[in-house]
Amino acid sequence: MSHKPTITDSLKFSADSKIPQVLLGVGVIGLILSAIGAYTNTDQFLFSYLVSFVFFTGIALASIFMVMFHHITKSKWGVVVRRIPETFGSNMKWWTIAFLPILGGMTILYHHWTDPTLFDPNSPNFDYIVAKKEAYLNVPFFIIRQVIYFAIWGFVGHKLYKASVELEKTGDWGITTLMRKVSAPAIPIFGLSIAFASFDWLMSLDPHWFSTMFGVYFFAISFQSFWAIMILMVFFLHRNGYLKNTIGQAHIYDLGAWLFAFTVFYAYIAFSQFLLIYYANLPEETLWFYHRLEGGYEYIAYGLLLFRFALPFLVLLNREQKHKRSVLAFVAIVVVVIHFFELHWIVKPAFYSEDAHGLSFSWMDFSTFLGLGGIFFWLFFNRFKQNSMIPENDPKLDECLEKTYHQ
Amino acid sequence: MSTNDQNTELYGILAEFKNPKALIDASEKVVEAGYDKFDTYAPFPIHGIDKAMNLPKSKLGWIVLGHGLLGFSGAIAMMYFMSVIDYPINISGKPFFNAPAWVPITFELTVLLSAFGAVFGMFFLNGLPRLNHPLFNVERFKKATDDGFFVCIEATDSKFQADLVRQLFEEAGATHIEEVYD
Repeated sequence: MSHKPTITDSLKFSADSKIPQVLLGVGVIGLILSAIGAYTNTDQFLFSYLVSFVFFTGIALASIFMVMFHHITKSKWGVVVRRIPETFGSNMKWWTIAFLPILGGMTILYHHWTDPTLFDPNSPNFDYIVAKKEAYLNVPFFIIRQVIYFAIWGFVGHKLYKASVELEKTGDWGITTLMRKVSAPAIPIFGLSIAFASFDWLMSLDPHWFSTMFGVYFFAISFQSFWAIMILMVFFLHRNGYLKNTIGQAHIYDLGAWLFAFTVFYAYIAFSQFLLIYYANLPEETLWFYHRLEGGYEYIAYGLLLFRFALPFLVLLNREQKHKRSVLAFVAIVVVVIHFFELHWIVKPAFYSEDAHGLSFSWMDFSTFLGLGGIFFWLFFNRFKQNSMIPENDPKLDECLEKTYHQ
Repeated sequence: MSTNDQNTELYGILAEFKNPKALIDASEKVVEAGYDKFDTYAPFPIHGIDKAMNLPKSKLGWIVLGHGLLGFSGAIAMMYFMSVIDYPINISGKPFFNAPAWVPITFELTVLLSAFGAVFGMFFLNGLPRLNHPLFNVERFKKATDDGFFVCIEATDSKFQADLVRQLFEEAGATHIEEVYD
Protein backbone atom coordinates (compact mmCIF):
# COMPACT_ATOMS: atom_id res chain seq x y z
CA MET A 1 0.00 0.00 0.00
CA SER A 2 2.78 2.40 0.86
CA HIS A 3 4.82 2.21 -2.30
CA LYS A 4 5.12 5.43 -4.27
CA PRO A 5 3.47 5.24 -7.69
CA THR A 6 5.93 5.92 -10.45
CA ILE A 7 5.15 8.09 -13.43
CA THR A 8 6.41 6.60 -16.64
CA ASP A 9 5.21 9.32 -19.00
CA SER A 10 7.08 12.40 -20.04
CA LEU A 11 5.36 15.29 -18.28
CA LYS A 12 6.38 18.05 -20.64
CA PHE A 13 4.33 19.03 -23.62
CA SER A 14 6.79 18.98 -26.51
CA ALA A 15 8.18 22.49 -27.02
CA ASP A 16 8.48 22.05 -30.78
CA SER A 17 5.00 20.67 -31.27
CA LYS A 18 3.30 22.21 -34.29
CA ILE A 19 -0.08 22.29 -32.55
CA PRO A 20 0.12 25.85 -31.14
CA GLN A 21 1.22 27.29 -34.49
CA VAL A 22 -1.61 25.54 -36.31
CA LEU A 23 -4.10 26.87 -33.78
CA LEU A 24 -2.67 30.38 -34.04
CA GLY A 25 -2.94 30.15 -37.82
CA VAL A 26 -6.59 29.05 -37.63
CA GLY A 27 -7.32 31.80 -35.11
CA VAL A 28 -5.68 34.56 -37.14
CA ILE A 29 -7.36 33.48 -40.38
CA GLY A 30 -10.73 33.27 -38.62
CA LEU A 31 -10.31 36.68 -37.08
CA ILE A 32 -9.16 38.29 -40.36
CA LEU A 33 -12.21 36.86 -42.13
CA SER A 34 -14.39 38.09 -39.28
CA ALA A 35 -12.80 41.52 -39.48
CA ILE A 36 -13.77 41.68 -43.15
CA GLY A 37 -17.26 40.62 -42.08
CA ALA A 38 -17.28 43.31 -39.41
CA TYR A 39 -16.57 45.86 -42.10
CA THR A 40 -19.30 44.67 -44.48
CA ASN A 41 -22.01 43.73 -41.96
CA THR A 42 -21.23 45.03 -38.50
CA ASP A 43 -24.52 43.95 -36.91
CA GLN A 44 -24.20 40.35 -38.01
CA PHE A 45 -20.56 40.27 -36.96
CA LEU A 46 -21.33 41.48 -33.45
CA PHE A 47 -24.02 38.89 -32.82
CA SER A 48 -21.87 36.08 -34.21
CA TYR A 49 -18.92 37.29 -32.19
CA LEU A 50 -20.97 37.42 -28.99
CA VAL A 51 -21.99 33.76 -29.39
CA SER A 52 -18.41 32.60 -29.85
CA PHE A 53 -17.08 34.85 -27.13
CA VAL A 54 -19.58 33.58 -24.58
CA PHE A 55 -18.88 29.99 -25.64
CA PHE A 56 -15.17 30.14 -24.83
CA THR A 57 -15.45 32.51 -21.88
CA GLY A 58 -17.95 30.16 -20.28
CA ILE A 59 -15.48 27.29 -20.58
CA ALA A 60 -12.67 29.35 -19.04
CA LEU A 61 -14.92 30.43 -16.16
CA ALA A 62 -16.07 26.88 -15.51
CA SER A 63 -12.39 25.87 -15.51
CA ILE A 64 -11.52 28.33 -12.75
CA PHE A 65 -14.58 27.21 -10.82
CA MET A 66 -13.58 23.58 -11.07
CA VAL A 67 -10.06 24.34 -9.82
CA MET A 68 -11.49 26.28 -6.89
CA PHE A 69 -13.87 23.60 -5.69
CA HIS A 70 -11.14 21.05 -6.21
CA HIS A 71 -8.96 22.98 -3.76
CA ILE A 72 -11.66 23.75 -1.27
CA THR A 73 -12.85 20.16 -0.98
CA LYS A 74 -9.24 18.90 -0.87
CA SER A 75 -10.18 16.54 -3.67
CA LYS A 76 -7.82 13.94 -4.94
CA TRP A 77 -9.83 12.48 -7.80
CA GLY A 78 -8.74 15.02 -10.38
CA VAL A 79 -5.20 16.05 -9.50
CA VAL A 80 -3.82 14.55 -12.70
CA VAL A 81 -6.21 16.53 -14.90
CA ARG A 82 -6.19 19.73 -12.85
CA ARG A 83 -3.45 21.43 -14.86
CA ILE A 84 -5.76 21.61 -17.87
CA PRO A 85 -8.44 23.86 -16.25
CA GLU A 86 -5.72 25.76 -14.39
CA THR A 87 -4.16 26.62 -17.73
CA PHE A 88 -7.49 27.66 -19.24
CA GLY A 89 -8.08 29.90 -16.25
CA SER A 90 -4.61 31.41 -16.28
CA ASN A 91 -5.30 32.95 -19.70
CA MET A 92 -8.37 34.79 -18.49
CA LYS A 93 -6.32 37.97 -18.06
CA TRP A 94 -5.41 37.99 -21.77
CA TRP A 95 -8.87 36.90 -22.77
CA THR A 96 -10.14 40.32 -21.61
CA ILE A 97 -8.88 41.68 -24.92
CA ALA A 98 -11.38 39.47 -26.71
CA PHE A 99 -14.17 41.36 -24.99
CA LEU A 100 -13.19 44.72 -26.56
CA PRO A 101 -15.15 44.27 -29.82
CA ILE A 102 -18.31 43.70 -27.77
CA LEU A 103 -17.61 46.81 -25.71
CA GLY A 104 -16.99 48.75 -28.93
CA GLY A 105 -20.23 47.53 -30.49
CA MET A 106 -22.42 47.64 -27.43
CA THR A 107 -24.63 50.40 -28.77
CA ILE A 108 -25.53 48.07 -31.63
CA LEU A 109 -25.73 44.80 -29.70
CA TYR A 110 -27.64 46.26 -26.80
CA HIS A 111 -29.50 49.01 -28.64
CA HIS A 112 -32.68 47.93 -26.84
CA TRP A 113 -31.38 49.73 -23.77
CA THR A 114 -28.38 51.86 -24.83
CA ASP A 115 -30.53 54.23 -26.91
CA PRO A 116 -30.95 57.38 -24.71
CA THR A 117 -34.36 58.25 -26.20
CA LEU A 118 -35.82 55.15 -24.50
CA PHE A 119 -35.45 56.90 -21.18
CA ASP A 120 -36.95 60.22 -22.23
CA PRO A 121 -40.66 60.42 -21.31
CA ASN A 122 -41.29 63.00 -24.04
CA SER A 123 -39.80 60.92 -26.78
CA PRO A 124 -41.96 58.64 -28.96
CA ASN A 125 -39.44 55.88 -28.25
CA PHE A 126 -40.00 56.11 -24.52
CA ASP A 127 -40.09 52.62 -23.01
CA TYR A 128 -41.63 52.52 -19.57
CA ILE A 129 -40.21 49.09 -18.65
CA VAL A 130 -36.66 49.83 -19.76
CA ALA A 131 -36.76 53.31 -18.17
CA LYS A 132 -37.53 51.66 -14.83
CA LYS A 133 -34.38 49.59 -15.21
CA GLU A 134 -32.15 52.57 -15.93
CA ALA A 135 -30.31 52.28 -12.61
CA TYR A 136 -28.78 49.03 -13.79
CA LEU A 137 -29.00 49.22 -17.55
CA ASN A 138 -26.87 52.23 -18.40
CA VAL A 139 -23.64 52.43 -20.34
CA PRO A 140 -21.22 53.68 -17.64
CA PHE A 141 -22.36 51.12 -15.09
CA PHE A 142 -22.20 48.38 -17.72
CA ILE A 143 -18.56 49.25 -18.43
CA ILE A 144 -17.72 49.44 -14.71
CA ARG A 145 -19.22 45.99 -14.19
CA GLN A 146 -17.22 44.50 -17.04
CA VAL A 147 -14.01 45.92 -15.56
CA ILE A 148 -14.87 44.37 -12.21
CA TYR A 149 -15.69 40.96 -13.72
CA PHE A 150 -12.53 40.69 -15.74
CA ALA A 151 -10.39 41.99 -12.89
CA ILE A 152 -11.74 39.28 -10.56
CA TRP A 153 -11.54 36.49 -13.12
CA GLY A 154 -8.11 37.49 -14.39
CA PHE A 155 -6.73 37.78 -10.87
CA VAL A 156 -8.12 34.49 -9.56
CA GLY A 157 -7.20 32.53 -12.68
CA HIS A 158 -3.68 33.93 -12.60
CA LYS A 159 -3.26 33.40 -8.87
CA LEU A 160 -4.38 29.77 -8.85
CA TYR A 161 -2.15 28.89 -11.77
CA LYS A 162 0.85 30.69 -10.27
CA ALA A 163 0.37 28.97 -6.91
CA SER A 164 0.12 25.56 -8.56
CA VAL A 165 3.31 26.10 -10.56
CA GLU A 166 5.12 27.38 -7.48
CA LEU A 167 4.08 24.29 -5.55
CA GLU A 168 5.43 22.17 -8.38
CA LYS A 169 8.77 24.02 -8.44
CA THR A 170 9.38 24.31 -4.70
CA GLY A 171 7.53 21.26 -3.37
CA ASP A 172 6.26 23.42 -0.51
CA TRP A 173 2.99 21.85 0.61
CA GLY A 174 2.11 24.98 2.57
CA ILE A 175 1.04 26.54 -0.72
CA THR A 176 -2.11 24.38 -0.68
CA THR A 177 -3.28 26.58 2.20
CA LEU A 178 -2.86 29.64 0.02
CA MET A 179 -4.88 27.93 -2.73
CA ARG A 180 -7.72 27.28 -0.31
CA LYS A 181 -7.50 30.81 1.06
CA VAL A 182 -7.93 32.20 -2.45
CA SER A 183 -10.65 29.73 -3.44
CA ALA A 184 -12.92 30.00 -0.42
CA PRO A 185 -13.88 33.68 -0.75
CA ALA A 186 -13.61 33.57 -4.54
CA ILE A 187 -16.31 30.93 -5.01
CA PRO A 188 -19.30 33.09 -3.96
CA ILE A 189 -17.79 36.15 -5.68
CA PHE A 190 -17.37 34.07 -8.82
CA GLY A 191 -20.90 32.75 -8.64
CA LEU A 192 -22.29 36.26 -8.48
CA SER A 193 -19.99 37.68 -11.14
CA ILE A 194 -20.84 34.87 -13.58
CA ALA A 195 -24.55 35.40 -12.95
CA PHE A 196 -24.34 39.15 -13.49
CA ALA A 197 -22.12 38.73 -16.53
CA SER A 198 -24.74 36.47 -18.08
CA PHE A 199 -27.41 39.09 -17.33
CA ASP A 200 -25.26 41.74 -19.01
CA TRP A 201 -24.17 39.77 -22.05
CA LEU A 202 -27.17 37.61 -22.84
CA MET A 203 -30.25 38.60 -20.89
CA SER A 204 -29.97 42.32 -21.60
CA LEU A 205 -30.20 41.62 -25.34
CA ASP A 206 -33.91 41.61 -24.64
CA PRO A 207 -34.23 44.04 -21.72
CA HIS A 208 -37.97 43.51 -21.22
CA TRP A 209 -37.40 39.92 -20.31
CA PHE A 210 -35.96 38.69 -17.07
CA SER A 211 -35.36 35.36 -15.46
CA THR A 212 -33.97 35.24 -11.95
CA MET A 213 -32.33 31.90 -12.58
CA PHE A 214 -30.63 32.92 -15.81
CA GLY A 215 -27.27 33.13 -14.05
CA VAL A 216 -27.58 29.54 -12.85
CA TYR A 217 -28.71 28.53 -16.30
CA PHE A 218 -25.62 30.08 -17.88
CA PHE A 219 -23.48 28.39 -15.25
CA ALA A 220 -25.12 25.04 -15.98
CA ILE A 221 -24.69 25.17 -19.76
CA SER A 222 -21.08 26.34 -19.45
CA PHE A 223 -20.22 23.68 -16.92
CA GLN A 224 -21.75 20.84 -18.86
CA SER A 225 -19.79 21.74 -21.95
CA PHE A 226 -16.69 22.29 -19.83
CA TRP A 227 -16.71 18.62 -18.80
CA ALA A 228 -17.18 17.62 -22.41
CA ILE A 229 -14.18 19.77 -23.38
CA MET A 230 -12.16 18.20 -20.55
CA ILE A 231 -12.90 14.70 -21.85
CA LEU A 232 -11.94 15.73 -25.36
CA MET A 233 -8.74 17.42 -24.13
CA VAL A 234 -7.68 14.25 -22.30
CA PHE A 235 -8.38 12.13 -25.38
CA PHE A 236 -6.50 14.64 -27.52
CA LEU A 237 -3.45 14.40 -25.25
CA HIS A 238 -3.63 10.60 -25.25
CA ARG A 239 -3.90 10.57 -29.01
CA ASN A 240 -0.73 12.60 -29.27
CA GLY A 241 1.01 10.20 -26.93
CA TYR A 242 0.93 12.34 -23.79
CA LEU A 243 0.13 11.15 -20.25
CA LYS A 244 -1.08 7.78 -21.50
CA ASN A 245 -0.25 5.98 -18.27
CA THR A 246 -0.79 8.94 -15.97
CA ILE A 247 -4.40 9.79 -16.75
CA GLY A 248 -5.98 6.39 -16.42
CA GLN A 249 -9.33 4.72 -16.78
CA ALA A 250 -10.43 5.73 -13.28
CA HIS A 251 -9.87 9.43 -14.04
CA ILE A 252 -11.66 9.24 -17.36
CA TYR A 253 -14.55 7.50 -15.64
CA ASP A 254 -14.74 10.38 -13.14
CA LEU A 255 -14.91 12.94 -15.94
CA GLY A 256 -17.69 10.90 -17.54
CA ALA A 257 -19.56 10.85 -14.24
CA TRP A 258 -19.23 14.63 -13.98
CA LEU A 259 -20.55 15.05 -17.50
CA PHE A 260 -23.50 12.87 -16.58
CA ALA A 261 -24.14 14.80 -13.36
CA PHE A 262 -24.10 18.15 -15.12
CA THR A 263 -26.35 16.81 -17.86
CA VAL A 264 -28.97 16.21 -15.20
CA PHE A 265 -28.21 19.56 -13.55
CA TYR A 266 -28.56 21.34 -16.89
CA ALA A 267 -31.88 19.68 -17.64
CA TYR A 268 -33.20 20.54 -14.19
CA ILE A 269 -32.20 24.20 -14.43
CA ALA A 270 -33.13 24.77 -18.06
CA PHE A 271 -36.50 23.08 -17.69
CA SER A 272 -37.31 24.83 -14.41
CA GLN A 273 -36.69 28.17 -16.07
CA PHE A 274 -38.97 27.24 -18.93
CA LEU A 275 -41.73 25.62 -16.87
CA LEU A 276 -42.23 28.53 -14.47
CA ILE A 277 -42.52 31.00 -17.31
CA TYR A 278 -44.76 28.70 -19.33
CA TYR A 279 -47.05 28.06 -16.44
CA ALA A 280 -47.33 31.63 -15.16
CA ASN A 281 -47.97 32.78 -18.72
CA LEU A 282 -47.13 36.47 -18.15
CA PRO A 283 -46.73 38.29 -21.48
CA GLU A 284 -43.56 40.03 -20.36
CA GLU A 285 -41.86 36.72 -19.60
CA THR A 286 -43.29 34.37 -22.21
CA LEU A 287 -42.30 36.57 -25.13
CA TRP A 288 -38.66 35.52 -24.85
CA PHE A 289 -39.55 31.87 -25.22
CA TYR A 290 -42.15 32.68 -27.84
CA HIS A 291 -39.45 34.15 -30.08
CA ARG A 292 -37.34 31.06 -29.48
CA LEU A 293 -40.08 28.60 -30.36
CA GLU A 294 -40.97 29.97 -33.78
CA GLY A 295 -39.38 30.69 -37.13
CA GLY A 296 -37.18 27.58 -37.11
CA TYR A 297 -35.80 28.14 -33.61
CA GLU A 298 -38.16 25.48 -32.30
CA TYR A 299 -35.96 22.88 -34.00
CA ILE A 300 -33.02 24.01 -31.89
CA ALA A 301 -35.25 23.99 -28.80
CA TYR A 302 -36.32 20.38 -29.41
CA GLY A 303 -32.73 19.56 -30.34
CA LEU A 304 -31.64 20.79 -26.91
CA LEU A 305 -34.10 18.45 -25.24
CA LEU A 306 -32.91 15.51 -27.32
CA PHE A 307 -29.17 16.01 -27.66
CA ARG A 308 -28.35 18.02 -24.59
CA PHE A 309 -30.39 15.99 -22.14
CA ALA A 310 -32.05 12.80 -23.42
CA LEU A 311 -29.15 11.37 -25.40
CA PRO A 312 -26.30 12.04 -22.91
CA PHE A 313 -28.56 10.99 -20.03
CA LEU A 314 -29.65 7.68 -21.50
CA VAL A 315 -26.23 6.83 -22.91
CA LEU A 316 -24.25 7.69 -19.78
CA LEU A 317 -26.80 6.27 -17.32
CA ASN A 318 -25.25 2.84 -17.56
CA ARG A 319 -22.06 2.55 -15.57
CA GLU A 320 -20.19 0.58 -18.22
CA GLN A 321 -20.71 3.28 -20.84
CA LYS A 322 -18.83 5.83 -18.77
CA HIS A 323 -15.54 4.10 -19.29
CA LYS A 324 -15.88 3.36 -22.97
CA ARG A 325 -13.75 5.93 -24.71
CA SER A 326 -15.63 6.00 -28.00
CA VAL A 327 -18.96 6.49 -26.21
CA LEU A 328 -17.60 9.29 -24.02
CA ALA A 329 -15.96 11.02 -26.97
CA PHE A 330 -19.19 10.81 -28.96
CA VAL A 331 -21.32 12.25 -26.16
CA ALA A 332 -18.74 14.97 -25.46
CA ILE A 333 -18.72 16.08 -29.09
CA VAL A 334 -22.53 16.13 -29.19
CA VAL A 335 -22.60 18.29 -26.05
CA VAL A 336 -20.01 20.75 -27.36
CA VAL A 337 -21.82 21.13 -30.68
CA ILE A 338 -25.22 21.57 -29.06
CA HIS A 339 -23.72 24.13 -26.66
CA PHE A 340 -22.84 26.31 -29.64
CA PHE A 341 -26.39 25.94 -30.96
CA GLU A 342 -27.88 26.73 -27.59
CA LEU A 343 -25.95 30.00 -27.36
CA HIS A 344 -26.99 30.77 -30.92
CA TRP A 345 -30.58 30.07 -29.85
CA ILE A 346 -30.27 32.44 -26.89
CA VAL A 347 -28.58 35.29 -28.77
CA LYS A 348 -29.80 35.27 -32.32
CA PRO A 349 -33.56 35.74 -31.93
CA ALA A 350 -32.70 39.16 -30.47
CA PHE A 351 -31.15 40.07 -33.81
CA TYR A 352 -33.76 41.24 -36.29
CA SER A 353 -32.66 42.63 -39.60
CA GLU A 354 -34.19 43.07 -43.03
CA ASP A 355 -32.72 39.92 -44.49
CA ALA A 356 -32.52 37.67 -41.43
CA HIS A 357 -35.82 36.55 -39.95
CA GLY A 358 -36.13 33.36 -38.04
CA LEU A 359 -33.44 30.73 -37.83
CA SER A 360 -30.44 31.66 -39.92
CA PHE A 361 -26.73 31.08 -39.88
CA SER A 362 -24.14 33.42 -41.28
CA TRP A 363 -20.64 32.42 -42.32
CA MET A 364 -19.49 34.81 -39.63
CA ASP A 365 -20.95 32.51 -36.95
CA PHE A 366 -18.28 30.03 -37.96
CA SER A 367 -15.44 32.43 -38.75
CA THR A 368 -15.70 34.08 -35.34
CA PHE A 369 -15.95 30.66 -33.73
CA LEU A 370 -12.79 29.43 -35.47
CA GLY A 371 -11.04 32.74 -34.83
CA LEU A 372 -11.74 32.94 -31.12
CA GLY A 373 -11.42 29.16 -30.70
CA GLY A 374 -8.03 29.15 -32.40
CA ILE A 375 -6.78 31.95 -30.18
CA PHE A 376 -8.30 30.39 -27.06
CA PHE A 377 -6.58 27.06 -27.60
CA TRP A 378 -3.38 28.67 -28.85
CA LEU A 379 -3.17 30.57 -25.56
CA PHE A 380 -3.84 27.30 -23.80
CA PHE A 381 -1.11 25.24 -25.47
CA ASN A 382 1.32 28.11 -25.36
CA ARG A 383 1.14 28.07 -21.60
CA PHE A 384 0.60 24.34 -21.30
CA LYS A 385 4.05 23.60 -22.71
CA GLN A 386 5.82 25.89 -20.25
CA ASN A 387 5.28 23.66 -17.22
CA SER A 388 4.45 20.05 -16.48
CA MET A 389 1.15 18.77 -17.73
CA ILE A 390 0.23 17.60 -14.22
CA PRO A 391 0.81 19.43 -10.93
CA GLU A 392 3.91 17.59 -9.74
CA ASN A 393 4.69 17.53 -6.03
CA ASP A 394 1.02 18.03 -5.19
CA PRO A 395 0.36 16.34 -1.84
CA LYS A 396 -2.55 14.37 -3.26
CA LEU A 397 -0.96 13.41 -6.55
CA ASP A 398 0.14 9.95 -5.36
CA GLU A 399 -3.30 9.07 -4.10
CA CYS A 400 -4.78 10.24 -7.37
CA LEU A 401 -2.34 8.16 -9.41
CA GLU A 402 -3.15 5.11 -7.33
CA LYS A 403 -6.81 5.40 -8.11
CA THR A 404 -8.05 2.31 -9.87
CA TYR A 405 -11.38 1.56 -11.33
CA HIS A 406 -13.49 -0.84 -9.27
CA GLN A 407 -15.76 -2.85 -11.44
CA MET B 1 -25.08 -23.23 21.53
CA SER B 2 -23.48 -25.69 19.23
CA THR B 3 -24.84 -28.80 20.90
CA ASN B 4 -26.30 -31.05 18.30
CA ASP B 5 -29.62 -32.48 19.48
CA GLN B 6 -32.23 -34.00 17.22
CA ASN B 7 -34.11 -30.74 16.51
CA THR B 8 -31.18 -28.92 14.96
CA GLU B 9 -29.52 -29.44 11.67
CA LEU B 10 -26.24 -28.27 10.30
CA TYR B 11 -26.52 -24.85 8.61
CA GLY B 12 -22.90 -24.52 7.56
CA ILE B 13 -19.36 -24.10 8.71
CA LEU B 14 -18.12 -20.71 9.81
CA ALA B 15 -14.48 -19.67 9.75
CA GLU B 16 -12.93 -16.52 11.11
CA PHE B 17 -10.02 -14.75 9.46
CA LYS B 18 -7.54 -12.21 10.71
CA ASN B 19 -8.08 -9.24 8.42
CA PRO B 20 -9.75 -8.07 5.18
CA LYS B 21 -6.82 -9.25 3.08
CA ALA B 22 -7.05 -12.77 4.53
CA LEU B 23 -10.80 -12.70 3.94
CA ILE B 24 -10.34 -11.83 0.27
CA ASP B 25 -7.71 -14.57 -0.16
CA ALA B 26 -9.95 -17.07 1.62
CA SER B 27 -12.98 -16.28 -0.53
CA GLU B 28 -10.83 -16.69 -3.64
CA LYS B 29 -9.83 -20.13 -2.40
CA VAL B 30 -13.45 -21.04 -1.64
CA VAL B 31 -14.46 -20.04 -5.16
CA GLU B 32 -11.54 -22.00 -6.58
CA ALA B 33 -12.64 -25.11 -4.67
CA GLY B 34 -15.98 -24.81 -6.45
CA TYR B 35 -18.37 -23.74 -3.70
CA ASP B 36 -21.04 -21.25 -4.60
CA LYS B 37 -23.38 -21.24 -1.58
CA PHE B 38 -21.27 -19.22 0.78
CA ASP B 39 -21.11 -15.69 2.10
CA THR B 40 -18.59 -13.41 3.74
CA TYR B 41 -19.19 -11.13 6.72
CA ALA B 42 -17.16 -8.10 7.70
CA PRO B 43 -17.73 -4.99 9.84
CA PHE B 44 -17.24 -2.66 6.87
CA PRO B 45 -17.39 -2.81 3.06
CA ILE B 46 -14.24 -4.28 1.53
CA HIS B 47 -13.21 -3.19 -1.95
CA GLY B 48 -12.81 -6.10 -4.30
CA ILE B 49 -14.64 -8.65 -2.14
CA ASP B 50 -17.42 -9.05 -4.71
CA LYS B 51 -14.80 -9.87 -7.32
CA ALA B 52 -13.03 -12.34 -5.01
CA MET B 53 -16.36 -14.01 -4.27
CA ASN B 54 -17.11 -14.21 -7.97
CA LEU B 55 -20.51 -12.62 -7.44
CA PRO B 56 -22.59 -12.02 -10.55
CA LYS B 57 -23.60 -8.45 -11.34
CA SER B 58 -26.52 -7.40 -9.16
CA LYS B 59 -29.96 -7.62 -10.73
CA LEU B 60 -31.08 -4.61 -8.69
CA GLY B 61 -30.47 -2.17 -11.56
CA TRP B 62 -33.02 -3.97 -13.73
CA ILE B 63 -35.58 -3.98 -10.93
CA VAL B 64 -35.08 -0.22 -10.49
CA LEU B 65 -35.37 0.36 -14.23
CA GLY B 66 -38.63 -1.60 -14.37
CA HIS B 67 -40.10 0.36 -11.50
CA GLY B 68 -38.89 3.64 -12.99
CA LEU B 69 -40.56 2.90 -16.31
CA LEU B 70 -43.72 1.86 -14.49
CA GLY B 71 -43.72 5.17 -12.59
CA PHE B 72 -43.07 7.11 -15.79
CA SER B 73 -45.84 5.51 -17.83
CA GLY B 74 -48.18 5.29 -14.85
CA ALA B 75 -47.88 9.03 -14.20
CA ILE B 76 -48.59 9.90 -17.81
CA ALA B 77 -51.50 7.46 -18.00
CA MET B 78 -52.97 8.84 -14.77
CA MET B 79 -52.74 12.46 -15.87
CA TYR B 80 -54.01 11.63 -19.32
CA PHE B 81 -57.05 9.97 -17.83
CA MET B 82 -57.67 12.84 -15.39
CA SER B 83 -57.08 15.90 -17.57
CA VAL B 84 -57.99 14.65 -21.04
CA ILE B 85 -60.62 11.95 -20.63
CA ASP B 86 -62.34 12.21 -17.30
CA TYR B 87 -62.40 15.87 -16.36
CA PRO B 88 -60.84 18.21 -18.93
CA ILE B 89 -60.51 21.79 -17.69
CA ASN B 90 -59.41 24.72 -19.80
CA ILE B 91 -56.52 26.35 -17.92
CA SER B 92 -55.55 29.67 -19.52
CA GLY B 93 -56.06 28.26 -22.99
CA LYS B 94 -53.40 25.59 -22.65
CA PRO B 95 -53.99 22.23 -24.33
CA PHE B 96 -55.47 19.40 -22.27
CA PHE B 97 -52.50 17.26 -23.15
CA ASN B 98 -50.15 19.73 -21.50
CA ALA B 99 -46.75 18.06 -21.75
CA PRO B 100 -44.52 20.67 -20.00
CA ALA B 101 -46.84 20.92 -17.02
CA TRP B 102 -46.86 17.15 -16.67
CA VAL B 103 -43.11 16.85 -16.36
CA PRO B 104 -42.82 17.46 -12.58
CA ILE B 105 -45.36 14.78 -11.65
CA THR B 106 -43.92 12.33 -14.17
CA PHE B 107 -40.48 12.98 -12.73
CA GLU B 108 -41.66 12.60 -9.14
CA LEU B 109 -43.45 9.32 -9.75
CA THR B 110 -40.52 7.94 -11.74
CA VAL B 111 -38.15 8.77 -8.90
CA LEU B 112 -40.54 7.55 -6.21
CA LEU B 113 -41.14 4.17 -7.79
CA SER B 114 -37.44 3.82 -8.65
CA ALA B 115 -36.60 4.44 -5.01
CA PHE B 116 -39.21 1.90 -3.92
CA GLY B 117 -37.78 -0.53 -6.45
CA ALA B 118 -34.28 0.04 -5.10
CA VAL B 119 -35.15 -0.34 -1.41
CA PHE B 120 -37.70 -3.15 -1.60
CA GLY B 121 -35.83 -4.85 -4.44
CA MET B 122 -32.79 -4.90 -2.17
CA PHE B 123 -34.93 -6.39 0.63
CA PHE B 124 -36.28 -9.02 -1.73
CA LEU B 125 -32.87 -9.98 -3.15
CA ASN B 126 -31.43 -10.22 0.37
CA GLY B 127 -34.32 -12.34 1.59
CA LEU B 128 -35.42 -9.64 4.05
CA PRO B 129 -37.23 -9.11 6.28
CA ARG B 130 -36.50 -12.12 8.46
CA LEU B 131 -36.52 -12.39 12.22
CA ASN B 132 -33.50 -14.58 12.85
CA HIS B 133 -30.56 -16.14 11.12
CA PRO B 134 -28.75 -19.38 12.06
CA LEU B 135 -25.47 -17.48 12.26
CA PHE B 136 -26.78 -15.57 15.29
CA ASN B 137 -26.59 -18.90 17.19
CA VAL B 138 -22.83 -18.50 17.16
CA GLU B 139 -21.60 -16.36 20.04
CA ARG B 140 -18.42 -15.50 18.18
CA PHE B 141 -20.35 -14.12 15.21
CA LYS B 142 -21.07 -10.94 17.19
CA LYS B 143 -17.55 -9.91 16.23
CA ALA B 144 -18.76 -9.42 12.64
CA THR B 145 -19.98 -5.98 13.65
CA ASP B 146 -16.68 -5.13 15.34
CA ASP B 147 -13.46 -6.80 14.28
CA GLY B 148 -14.36 -10.24 12.91
CA PHE B 149 -14.01 -11.33 9.29
CA PHE B 150 -15.99 -14.47 8.55
CA VAL B 151 -16.68 -16.90 5.75
CA CYS B 152 -19.54 -19.36 6.00
CA ILE B 153 -20.02 -22.22 3.55
CA GLU B 154 -23.59 -23.42 3.73
CA ALA B 155 -24.58 -27.06 4.09
CA THR B 156 -26.97 -26.79 1.15
CA ASP B 157 -24.04 -26.43 -1.23
CA SER B 158 -23.93 -29.43 -3.55
CA LYS B 159 -20.22 -29.97 -2.85
CA PHE B 160 -20.57 -29.60 0.91
CA GLN B 161 -18.65 -32.14 3.00
CA ALA B 162 -17.89 -31.06 6.54
CA ASP B 163 -14.36 -32.47 6.77
CA LEU B 164 -13.33 -31.11 3.36
CA VAL B 165 -14.66 -27.66 4.22
CA ARG B 166 -12.78 -27.68 7.53
CA GLN B 167 -9.63 -28.71 5.73
CA LEU B 168 -10.06 -25.92 3.18
CA PHE B 169 -10.48 -23.31 5.89
CA GLU B 170 -7.46 -24.58 7.75
CA GLU B 171 -5.36 -24.33 4.59
CA ALA B 172 -6.68 -20.80 3.98
CA GLY B 173 -5.40 -19.74 7.39
CA ALA B 174 -8.59 -19.47 9.44
CA THR B 175 -8.05 -18.47 13.06
CA HIS B 176 -11.21 -20.20 14.26
CA ILE B 177 -13.58 -22.76 12.72
CA GLU B 178 -17.01 -23.63 14.03
CA GLU B 179 -20.09 -25.53 12.94
CA VAL B 180 -23.33 -23.57 12.75
CA TYR B 181 -26.62 -25.24 13.65
CA ASP B 182 -30.03 -24.00 12.82
